[in-house]
Amino acid sequence: MHLDYRLTGPETSNWSSATEEDLRYRLALGDLISQIGDHDFSAPWGWIPLIDLAASFAAIAGKLQHATGSETFEFTESDAWIRFKRHGHDVTVTTSYQPGSAEINLPELTAKVRQLQEKLKTELTTKYPEIRSNQHFGRLLKIG
Amino acid sequence: MRRSFLGVLSLFLLLMGGLAVFQPAAKADPAQSEQMQVTLTSRALRHIMERHWPDSPASGAGKFQAGITPNILRDLINESVRDGRARPNTHGRPGTIYEYDFQRPIGTTIDGGPASRLRVVVNNRNEVITAFPF
Repeated sequence: MHLDYRLTGPETSNWSSATEEDLRYRLALGDLISQIGDHDFSAPWGWIPLIDLAASFAAIAGKLQHATGSETFEFTESDAWIRFKRHGHDVTVTTSYQPGSAEINLPELTAKVRQLQEKLKTELTTKYPEIRSNQHFGRLLKIG
Repeated sequence: MRRSFLGVLSLFLLLMGGLAVFQPAAKADPAQSEQMQVTLTSRALRHIMERHWPDSPASGAGKFQAGITPNILRDLINESVRDGRARPNTHGRPGTIYEYDFQRPIGTTIDGGPASRLRVVVNNRNEVITAFPF
C-alpha cells in the first residue's frame, strides 16, 4: 500500500490559534494519494483537509483494531467516501469514486496511517512552527 | 475575474453585517424549533463559493447550478435543516450533518450528473461550515 498526500501550497493563517473546525475543514489542504496493489484510490482534488484526513484515518484504523465491520471516511466537500471493511486480519477497501476493491492487512494499514500522520505532522511543524502550540493540532495528530 | 467577483461579494457581505441568520423550524421537535438557529457567516459563504459555486474550478466537489445566489443558498440551507435528515458528524468531526432531497436539480454531482440533494454541515454553535449538492 502506498498512502501519501500532497499539500496544495503555502497557506497564510494564524496557525497557533486555528480552531479544530479550521483544521478539519479549511487548512492544510491538498490531495490524497492512495494505491493498493493495482488499484489507485487517489483523490487529487486539491481541497482535501489533510489534518482531518489523517485524524479520521487514524480513528478508523483504531476502531477496526477492536471490532470487525466497516468504517467509512466521508470527504468534507463531497459525498465521496472510502470504506474500510474488516474481515479477520484483512481489510477490504472500496471507494465511491473509483471502481474495484483492494485488500490490505490491518497491521499494514495501521502502520501506513501512522506514517502518514508522522509525515504530515513533521511537514506542517517545519513549514509553520507556530502550529506546535495549537492544542487541536496536537490532539488531532497525536500518534499513539 | 472570479476572484475579483468573490472579493466584491465578500465586501458586500461584510458591509451588510457579515452574518445572515435564519430560524428554521425543526421538523421532529417543535419545542426545539423555536431555539433552532443556523447562521451562514460571510466566511462560510466564501468557503462554499470557492468550492461549490458554478464557476468554481475545484474538482471532486458538487456544484450548485447556474443562477445560484447567496439568498437562494440560504433558502436551500434553511429548508434542508428544517426538513432534512440529521445525523452526527463522523469520526470526531464536530457538529451535525443535514441532508435533504429537493426532488429537483439543484446542481451537479462530482461526476457532472444532476444533483437533487443538499448536504449541510453545521457546527455546535449552529453555524454552517459547508454545504454542497450531491
